[in-house]
Amino acid sequence: MKRTGRSNTTDEQDPTPGRRGGTGPHPLGGAVVVPSQDGEPVAGPASAANPVVESDLPAHAGSPETEPRRRLSFGLERFSGLYVWGALILLFALWVPDTFLTTSNAKIIAGDQAITAMLALGIIIPLAAGVFDLSFAGVLGVSVALTAYMQVEGQSPVVAAIIAILGAAVIGAVNGFVVVHLRVNSFIATLGMSSLLAAAAYWITDGKQITEGFSSTFLDLGTKQLLGIPLPFYVMLVVAAIIYVVIEYLPVGRYLYAAGGNPQAARLAGVRVDRIVFGSLVASSFVAGVTGVVLAARLGTASQDIGPSYLLPAFSAVFLGSTQIKAGRVNVLGTLIAIYLLATGVKGLQLAGAPVYVNDLFNGAALIIAVALAARSARRV
Amino acid sequence: MPQTPALQVHALSKTFTGQRALIEVDLELQPGELRALVGQNGCGKSTLIKVLAGYHDPDPAGEVLVDGQPLALGVAGAGDHAGLRFVHQDLGLVPTLDACDNLAMGHGYERNRARLISWRREHRMAQETLRDLGYDIDVRQPTGHLVISERTAIALARALSPRSTPPRVLVLDEPTANLPAAEISRLFEVVRAVRDRGVAVLFVSHHLDEVFTLCETVTVLRDGRHVVTRPVQGLDEDALIALMIGRTLEQFEVPTGSVAERHGEPVLQARDLHSAVLHGVDLDVRPGEVIGVAGITGSGREELALALFGGIGRTGTVTVSGKPVDPHRPDKAVEAGMALVPAERHANAAFLDSTLRENVSIVSPGDFLRRGLLNRSREVSEVTSWLTKLNVRPPHPERQLATLSGGNQQKVILARWMRQHPAVLVLDEPTQGVDVGAKADIHTLVEQAAAAGAAVIVVSTDHSELTRLAERVLVLREGRIADVLRRPHIDPDRITAATIGAKQGAAA
Repeated sequence: MKRTGRSNTTDEQDPTPGRRGGTGPHPLGGAVVVPSQDGEPVAGPASAANPVVESDLPAHAGSPETEPRRRLSFGLERFSGLYVWGALILLFALWVPDTFLTTSNAKIIAGDQAITAMLALGIIIPLAAGVFDLSFAGVLGVSVALTAYMQVEGQSPVVAAIIAILGAAVIGAVNGFVVVHLRVNSFIATLGMSSLLAAAAYWITDGKQITEGFSSTFLDLGTKQLLGIPLPFYVMLVVAAIIYVVIEYLPVGRYLYAAGGNPQAARLAGVRVDRIVFGSLVASSFVAGVTGVVLAARLGTASQDIGPSYLLPAFSAVFLGSTQIKAGRVNVLGTLIAIYLLATGVKGLQLAGAPVYVNDLFNGAALIIAVALAARSARRV
Repeated sequence: MPQTPALQVHALSKTFTGQRALIEVDLELQPGELRALVGQNGCGKSTLIKVLAGYHDPDPAGEVLVDGQPLALGVAGAGDHAGLRFVHQDLGLVPTLDACDNLAMGHGYERNRARLISWRREHRMAQETLRDLGYDIDVRQPTGHLVISERTAIALARALSPRSTPPRVLVLDEPTANLPAAEISRLFEVVRAVRDRGVAVLFVSHHLDEVFTLCETVTVLRDGRHVVTRPVQGLDEDALIALMIGRTLEQFEVPTGSVAERHGEPVLQARDLHSAVLHGVDLDVRPGEVIGVAGITGSGREELALALFGGIGRTGTVTVSGKPVDPHRPDKAVEAGMALVPAERHANAAFLDSTLRENVSIVSPGDFLRRGLLNRSREVSEVTSWLTKLNVRPPHPERQLATLSGGNQQKVILARWMRQHPAVLVLDEPTQGVDVGAKADIHTLVEQAAAAGAAVIVVSTDHSELTRLAERVLVLREGRIADVLRRPHIDPDRITAATIGAKQGAAA
C-alpha cells in the first residue's frame, strides 16, 4: 500500500506499513473486504518481534482540523441514490408517461422486488461483520423445495414453513462452523456450500417441478394483496424493520461493524468476534429461509433451480447501497434505496421498449459505476 | 598503497521536520572488516541504515562512497547495484513464496532458450546457494513455514547473491533478535566466512556480548552523532555502555523493603507466564501503583501486555481481583476489569472508518440502552464528555477516527478504556507515534488513573517515559524479569543499561 505522506519518524521507528486487514480505505468500507484468514495474530510472536512504530500520520491524509467533508456537501453523496432515483422517475415519467407514471406500475415495482430485497437485507448482516455469505441463494432454493415437498407429503403449511426455516438456520450454523472453527475463508466456505445446496435442492425435488399439493391458504400468503400490493412486500418491510433495529439500535449491531472493520481491534476491545461471525452467518441463512417460504407461496411451484438467479441482484443491491446513507458501510436504508432505484430503472426501460436483457445490463452497469464513484470520493477524503 | 575503503560515509546528516536524527556522521569500513554499530534507542542507527539503503533522502552535503565510487543517495536500489547489501531486521521475505522465489526477488529468474523459467535449475541453484552458506533448506517450502534461522539464512543468501556486482558491504540489522543461541553462533560462522571473502560487514546489535564475540571494531552513535570508532579489544561491556549513554553508571545499592503497605493487596497477579517469547514471568500490581516494563526487541516486552490480557496464546495464570483471566479471551479480561491500550494502534485498536463515538463506546455499548434500544443522545453526550476530559481535538463524536492525528487517535482509544474505570490498566507503547503535547496529556491521564485507584502497567521502549511514570521498572531479558529498578534509582540510562544486560538492581 502506498503511504500517503512522508512520515516524520525519527530513529528506531519504522514507518507504518500502511493500514492492515479490513481497515483499509476500501471503496466499500471494511465490510466487504474479504477478511484475511481469521485469527491472524497481528501482534503475535512474528510481528511482536518486529514492532512497527506508527508514525503520527493519519492514513487518510485529511487535515485534522477541517470539518468532515460531508457536512459541506448537503448530503449530495450520502443521498445521491435518492437524487438518481428521482431523476429516473422524472425521466420515465416524461418518456413513457402513459404506462410508467401509474399507481399500478408503482405497486408492481414494489411487489416484484420483495424477494430480492429480503435476501439483500439478510446478507447485510454477514457483510457488516466482514464475511461473505454466497450460499444464501442456495438456502433460498432448498427452503422453497422443502416448503413444497413437506406440503406434498401432507404436512401442514405451518409445519412445512417451520421445517424449511429451521433447516436454513442449521445450514447457516454449518457455514459458521466451517468459517469460525475450521478457519476456511468465508468466500470459499459459502461458495462450496452453495454447490452442496444445489445438490440438496435437486435431491428434494427429484429434479422435477412441484406444482401440486400446496394448500390454498398458503398460496394466499404470496398472492393476496393489501392496498393493491402483494403481501410479500409487507413481509419484506417487517424483515427490514427488524434488521434495521438490530443493526442500528442494539449493541450487537456495533459488534458487527467492529468485527467487520478491524477484527483484531474488536477482539482486543472484548468483542467476541468468532461468535459474531458465526451468528451473522446463521442470521443470513435464517432470513434466506424465511424468504424461501414466501417465494414458494408467491410462485406456487418449486423447482431445483430457483436460487441462483437471485445471487447477483442481491449482492449488487447491498454493494450499491453501501454507497448510500452511511457511505462505506453496508446498511439497510441504502440497500432498500438501491433495490428500488434499480427496479425503477429497469422497469422504465422495459416500458420504453427495451429488450429483456436490459435488466442484467442496467444492474451491472449501475453497480460498477456507483461503486467506482464511491471509490473516487473515498480517495479524495 | 592503502586499499580503497569498502564504505565511506562523509558528513552525513538527516533532519526530520526540525529534528536532527543524524548529525555529520563519518564512517569508514575496510574490505574484510567486521564492524559493530551500537547505540541506544534513538541514537540514529536505524536512520543511518535507512539512508544507506536509499530509503531516506539525507540532507545535502553528505556523501557515501562504496568501493570508492559515489553512491546516489535517496535512490532505492542504488546501493544494491554498488554492492551495498542489507539483511533488515524483518528479513523482508515474502512468507507465501518459497526460498527459490525469494532469492529470485534479488536477481530475477534465469530463463532457457524458450524464454521459460527452468524450475529444476532454479531449485538446484537455490539449494546450492544456501548450501554454500552451510544451510540445507527445502527450497520448495513457503518461507513462512520455515523456522527463523532458516529464513535468516535465505535473507542472507539473497543479500550475498552476485547479481550485477559482487557484494562489497553487508549490513546486518539486528540479525540475532529472534535466534536461539546455537543458531547465533552458526550465523556468526557464516558472517566470518563472508568477511574472509573480503566483504566489509556492518553488524548492528543491541546485544553487546555478540559485539564482543563477533566484531573487531566498534562504532558508537549517540544522539545522532558519531562518538567513537575503535577496536573492540580493550573495552568491556560497562565501558561500552558508558560510551553509548555518555557517562558512567555508578553502581548503586540494591533497595530493600516492600511497597506493599502503601498499596494494599495486589489486584493483578500473574504467575509463571509463558508464551512464544516469555519464559516464566511473575507479576503483582497493586491498586494505585504504576509499573513500568522495559526490554529490548525479542526480550518478551512486546508480548507481555497481550499475554496478560489474553490477546495471544500463553500458559500460566493471570487473576484480576482474584478472578482468573483465560488466554484467548480478552472479553473475560474486560469483564474482570482489565483494560488494554495495545501497541500498533492501527492494527490492534483503531476502527479508522468508524466515528469517535463508535470507537469509544465499543467495549460496552449496552451502557447506553434505554428501554432496550441504544439511545443516541445519551451516547453522544457521554462520549463527548470523555473526549473533552481527555482533551481530544476536535471533540466531535461524529468525526471519523481516521481524520484525527495520531496523538488524538490514541486519546480516543484511552477514552474507550477510561470510560470503563478499569481496575487494571495495561498500556503498551502508549505514546508511540504521538506528538509531544499529546504525550504529556497521556502521561497526566495515566497518573490520574493510578490516583483513582487503578493498577497501571506501562510497557514502553521510551525510557524517559518509564522514568516519569513508573515506581518500579521490570526489565525483561530473554523472556524473564532480569532486573527490577525502583525509585529513586530509576533513570533512562539505568533502564537502558539494564535492558542490554548491565547488572545492577536485584533480580526479581
